[in-house]
This record gives sequence, structure tokens and C-alpha cells, in this order.
Amino acid sequence: MSDPRDNVQQEFLAEAQELVEALSRDLLLLDEAHQRAERPDASLINEIFRSVHTLKGIAGMFGYKHVGTIAHALEDLLDDLRVGRTDIGDPLLDVLFDSVERFQRLLALDDPQAPEEAHGVDAYVAAVRSIGTQPAVEDGDPLDQYAIGSAVLSVLTEYEEHRLRACIREGMQLYRLRATFDLTAIDDSIEALRDVVHDDAEIITYLPSLEGGNDESIELVVLLASRVPETELKAHFEGRYGTVEAIKEQKHPPTVPPNLTSIPPSSRSLLPQPEDETGQASLRSVANSVRVDIRKLDDLMNVVGELSLVRSAVGRAVAGLDGDPKYRQPLRELDRLGRGFERQLSELRTRILDVRMVPLGQVFSKFARIVRQAARENDKQVRLVITGANTEMDKLIVEELADPLMHLVRNAIDHGIESVETRMRLAKPAEGTLALNAYHKGRNVVIEVEDDGGGMNAHKLRERAVSRGLLTAEDSQDLTRQGMLDLVFLPGLSTNTEVTDLSGRGVGMDVVKTNILRMGGVVSIASEQGIGTKITVTLPITLAIIRALIITVGARLFALPISAVREAIPFAPQDVRTIQGRKVITMRGETLPICDLAPLFGLRGARQQASRFVIVCEMGNRELGFVVDELVGQEDVITKSLGATLSSVRGFAGATDLGDQKLALVLDAPALFSEYFDGGEALPSVEAHA
Amino acid sequence: MTAGAQRVTLIPDPGSEEVTIPVVAVSAGSETYGFPLSAVREILMPPPLTEVPRSAEHFLGVIAVRGEIITLVDLPTLLKLEVLDRQPLGRVILVDVGDELIGVAVDRVVQVSQLQPDQIEYASSMSADLSEYVVGVARVPAASSGSGDQMLILIDPGALLGGLT
Repeated sequence: MSDPRDNVQQEFLAEAQELVEALSRDLLLLDEAHQRAERPDASLINEIFRSVHTLKGIAGMFGYKHVGTIAHALEDLLDDLRVGRTDIGDPLLDVLFDSVERFQRLLALDDPQAPEEAHGVDAYVAAVRSIGTQPAVEDGDPLDQYAIGSAVLSVLTEYEEHRLRACIREGMQLYRLRATFDLTAIDDSIEALRDVVHDDAEIITYLPSLEGGNDESIELVVLLASRVPETELKAHFEGRYGTVEAIKEQKHPPTVPPNLTSIPPSSRSLLPQPEDETGQASLRSVANSVRVDIRKLDDLMNVVGELSLVRSAVGRAVAGLDGDPKYRQPLRELDRLGRGFERQLSELRTRILDVRMVPLGQVFSKFARIVRQAARENDKQVRLVITGANTEMDKLIVEELADPLMHLVRNAIDHGIESVETRMRLAKPAEGTLALNAYHKGRNVVIEVEDDGGGMNAHKLRERAVSRGLLTAEDSQDLTRQGMLDLVFLPGLSTNTEVTDLSGRGVGMDVVKTNILRMGGVVSIASEQGIGTKITVTLPITLAIIRALIITVGARLFALPISAVREAIPFAPQDVRTIQGRKVITMRGETLPICDLAPLFGLRGARQQASRFVIVCEMGNRELGFVVDELVGQEDVITKSLGATLSSVRGFAGATDLGDQKLALVLDAPALFSEYFDGGEALPSVEAHA
Repeated sequence: MTAGAQRVTLIPDPGSEEVTIPVVAVSAGSETYGFPLSAVREILMPPPLTEVPRSAEHFLGVIAVRGEIITLVDLPTLLKLEVLDRQPLGRVILVDVGDELIGVAVDRVVQVSQLQPDQIEYASSMSADLSEYVVGVARVPAASSGSGDQMLILIDPGALLGGLT
């Protein structure tokens, strides 16, 4: 981290990542326009072109050879697209979408030059080139065949140039029309000319000529393309407007390669033109933002923590002066200042947290590609609808969320949405809908992955759970419909059941649930057969601060993330029974296993057993009561991981500073659950302690 | 954490201008140990300690230092020293072991000694079977006058604390 080269590398990767993300978002828009059979917005194509161009530039600087090679090929393709040498279509979109994944993979490589990647890159570049060389382009640039003159070509806008080429390809003849216009009525005259010309020819552009004209009039050279024979055109125009002159096809096409015509560089410049408005806008937005390593934000947060320590130390010093009448006035003033200081401090903390927030769209945009690809592989039609892409969350959560969400998305396409035939038979629209919705709800962000597919068969889930021994047939009888659906989160139920290309990668819904829980989130499922399935993920806005229940065990403070806690009840030692060596209590008629944290942690619990509490926690459809000594209260805590030295100690997610250097260990509820229910691994650290 | 930026060495570079090696001398039990000053970030009065249940015995727990959570290792326990009557925590030195700062609890910080290379007898030249984290021993005049020379056991902090679990 102190190596400046590493820093530069990190900078590059961050910038490249942003460009690829921008590319991915823009491609999505391009694809949408294409699906609606609209002509894509020229500025959008320019934007995509610019992203790829910049990526090519910086990849070259940092030795990311493969990234540069791909970007270069794409740049040519996009340039063709931009000026109309090639047209938008599925194969073109496919290569473009494919590039996003390739870029991401290549950027993740340790060795940016990795020779083993070369083959794949070459194959990809060949695929890109095969699209770039559409027949129209193979003919070479049609403009080469005409003596239009570089002075004229250099002032053509891209659109004009594109139309010019298109007209030539359509077999139209080019003419140069010279006409003199009255300066005062020039606009009207040109409009009139346009109307006259309309049927016979197309005006490509008009330019003031250098020769004719005087104070009241100006001679314009109009570049025309027309299907009408020259004689007829002449008869029509000459005398009335001006002279008509055909631009002859050159007998000998220029020897320069097609891509290096006589067109001066300025008209084909790869860089945004200065007068280009969108170009200016994007430059401005770059200037207004800075990229910051998230660790620097953590450092800032630490300084805030330090400041609050100073604040409380000052408070204590002030309290020492209390009682002395001669200090009454200054003390009151100090108290007021102290409260003001505290407010600013909490404001600072909020602002720093705010900086960590990024829109969820960053991860959603990745799914467009996946949905496209998955739908095609599965021969299904799927429409992706995204709402709330602007919903902001902590950067770390957004990163962590990508994999679980991806699994849910793949599941929805693979198992949820039916094939076109099935949907038609069921009188559903042939195209299935997959919705990704995100919105704020209190201190949480809710993300829904919803499909209008076949839904889940709750009874089938129950049968499967019983047949796999995850549930006794007897217990299964008591399950509500929701309870049966929730079985999908049990380990071993969804894993490897239906192995497919898409979601059957040995990762089940239980893993999704565990990952979400680890982030302090909750997953729930709703499904109606024949109508669809909705998975709802609720997550805290930031990982940095979580709400925790502060408890004591053996006179030591611990924090238990509130997301896992269902309720706290007084502990009644007389109600404890033992079933197969495990202690349980009965709560509202249901058996609840309990785990006394004091012996688990090798601590001596409170002597007054009856004054203790049971914290009922829920995780992955399992409940467990932790027996603790006292409930201290709820607090927003910042969890910091324990160092590498203590990372092997199970059961703790980290520690949090409760102020005055007083630390509480944050309990890792998922780990404690799996230790209790699954036995966990051997715990060498416990032996060492004994 | 700005760990790893500084080079930690007890062996002077050949031909190096710098001839003395600064070492922080600390006492633990009845012995005195030397940590290279370049690896010691800070010397602290012991902050409030939070025990970590189920961790190995040589871990006293965690402490908060400027917002960082730092693992505190008990030097006498780690070195399996016989301690007759254990004093309350004396001092904590924050030692940089590369990727982590680790707090080391010692009884007392004796002094910072400037060692001349000829004061040091390197472990590689000694026949005694020493632990891998011992670089060598040095003889230094005792901090308090009149008590003769003191043996300073020079520690390689990376070997002692790096990868500790």
C-alpha cells in the first residue's frame, strides 16, 4: 500500500472498473433501444465509444495488453457504428455485452499480460472484426470514389458524412449546386430549396462559396445527392437557382487504404470535439468527483471515534469542577459548547458514512447481461425490469451483494420463468418478466427479485425435505404453507437438486441466506404456484454501523446484531429440560433449544440464574436461545474485525468501541448457530485455554 | 494501517553509515528483551482490556488504540517464562509485524539502548540451541548504576509475533 506503483495500479483498476461499469450501463440502454426497434441515440453510441477509447488509452499505459487489444478492436467497431459503416444488430450487441465480462475478468488477472489469455482474446477480436467488416465496408469507403475535396469533407458533421455515404451506396449521383441567396431571406430560401429538391434529391450540406456574393447576397455551394439523371436535374435547376455540376466518380480509386482516406483527421477525431456538449458535460462531472480508497474513509471514521473520546475526556474534566459556585457560569457555557461539539461530531460521522454510499444500479447493471445470456441459453424470453437503481447503499454491501443476487436472478430464470411454449399454453405472455426492485424502508434497503414464472410447489418442498431427512414426517405435518416455502433455505434441500448450466453450481438457497445474514440482512420468500416467486432481501444501509443488543455474560460486554434477534424473554431455570443431551425450554408451546453463553465462552455466568435472559435468535429457519446475564440496551455500533491473530477464534464477528475505550465483542450469530447445530469443527483454541 | 513501510532490522547493512542499532529494552519476568526500535510504533500505558473468550492463553484480549482494535499478547506467557508473582499490566508496546500491529504486554520498559554491532553476539554464531525468534544477545550497561552489565535478548518481532494464532 505504501508502494507508489501499487497505488497507481489501484487508481488504474478503479478507473478501468468505472469505465467498464459505464460501458455496461450504456450497452443496456442501447439494447433497450434496439429491442424497441428504435434508432439508437447517436450521443449514446458516442458515449460508449468514448468509454472504450479511454479504456484503450489507460490500458496501454498500464500494460494491460489484452484489455487494450480488445478495446482497440471494439473501438474500430464502434467507430463504424458511429458513422454508419455498420448497423446495430444482435451479433453486434452480443459482442459488446461479451466485452464487459471479458474486461472484468482480464482486469482481475494478477498478470495483465497473461499469455494463456492471448488465444481467447484473439478469438474474440476476430469475432469483433467479422462484425466490423460488413459487405458495405468491404467495398472500401465510397467517398473515396468521388472528388469531393477535403475542405468540404472536413466540415461535414458525422450525420452528414453518414448520409453522404448512404446516398452513394444507394446509387445516387452527387451534384454540386451553386446558388446565390439574398442574405436577408437566406433561411426561407434554403427551406424553399429543400422543398423543391425533396422529391428529386437530398441536400447533404451547404457551404458558403468563396467566390460569389456581395453585401446583400451570398453564394452557397449545395451538396446534393439525386437519383434523377443529370440532364433532367440541370433542366430543373439551372437558371432558376444556379448552376448544377455533377461530381464525377474517380476512375482510379485512391491507393490509400479505405480507413485512411483524404479526410483530414479533425473530422474523424477520436477525441470528443471541444464544442461537443456531451463531451463537456462528462469532463465536468469527472472534475467534480474524486475516487477514494474506502480504507481512507475508515481512517476518517477512526478519527471521529478519537474525537468523541476527547470529547468525553473534556466532559469528565469539566465534571470535576462541578459544585464550585464560582464556576457555575463558565460550566454552563462549557456544557453548551460540549453539546454543540457532539452534534457536529455526529454530523461528521453521518457525512462520512454518506460518502461510502453508491447506487445499487452498479450491481443491477451487471444483471442485464446475465439475464440476456441466461434467457438465450434456456431458450426463454425474459424482460428485465429494474426499479430503484438509484437506491444507495454502503459500497461494501453492494459488492458483497453481487453474488447472492446473481444466484437469485439465475434461479428465477432457470427454475422460475417457464419456456415460451408452456407460457403460451397457460395463456401467459410469451415473455416472462423478472423484476429487480430496490427501495428504502426505514434504516434498511429492501431488494426484491420477483418473477412471474411457475412459482414453487410448497408440498413438493415438504416432501423433499422429509425424503432427505431434513425434517421428520411428523414435524412436517405442522408446517404452514409459509413454513413449507421457507424449507427452501435449509442446507441440503436446494443444493445440487437440479444441476443446470445456470444455477446448479452447488450453491443453494441456504448459502444465499447465510451470506445475506452475514451482512446483517434477512431473506424471505413468497411464492404462488402459477403466478410467480418473490424473494425479498432486507439489508442495513451500511455495514459500518449496525444496531446491536448489548448484553453481558460473566460481567463482560457483548454486542449481538439485532437483525438476528427475535425477542428476549426472562430465563426460567426450572423450565429447562434436556432432550438428547441438549437443553431446551418451551416457549409458547414450541420447543426452543438454548445455549448458555457463559460456559460456551468459559466464563462464569451470573449466580442468580432466575435474573438471566434468553435471547431468542432466528437464522435460516432455525431458532436458538442464547442465555445471557443482563440486557444492557440497544446501540448503533461500528464493528471492526479482530486482527489476523484472533481471526481463528470462532463466534466473534469483531469488536466495537462503546466509548471510553470500552470494547464489546460482537457475536457472530451465524457462526454460533452452525457451531451449535452442525457441531462445527474442532476448536483448538478452547483446548489451548484449558 | 501503515504497516510494513519501515524496514525492520537488527543487522546493520555492510558499509552502512549507521553503526548503532536502537533497541527498546523491556523486562518480562526476570529477563530483559530487546525489540528493534524500528518495529516499535508506540509505548502505551495499558488501556482497558477486553478479554476474548476461547482464544489461546497468550492472548490477553483486545484493546482500542486510536479507533483500531489491537490484539494484546502477553510476553511472559508467550515466552513461557516463569512468573512468580504476576504484577498488574505494566506497559504495552505496539509492535509492527508487517500486516498487523500487535500489542505486547511487558512488565516494564527499561530504556532505549543504542547498540554497537560489537556488543551483539548473533545467535548464528552461538552454539546454544535458541528459539528462532532470538536474533542474538547483547551486553549493555544496566540502566541503574552499579548493578553491572545486563543481558539483553534480541527479538525478531516478525518471527515471534507474525502468524501467531
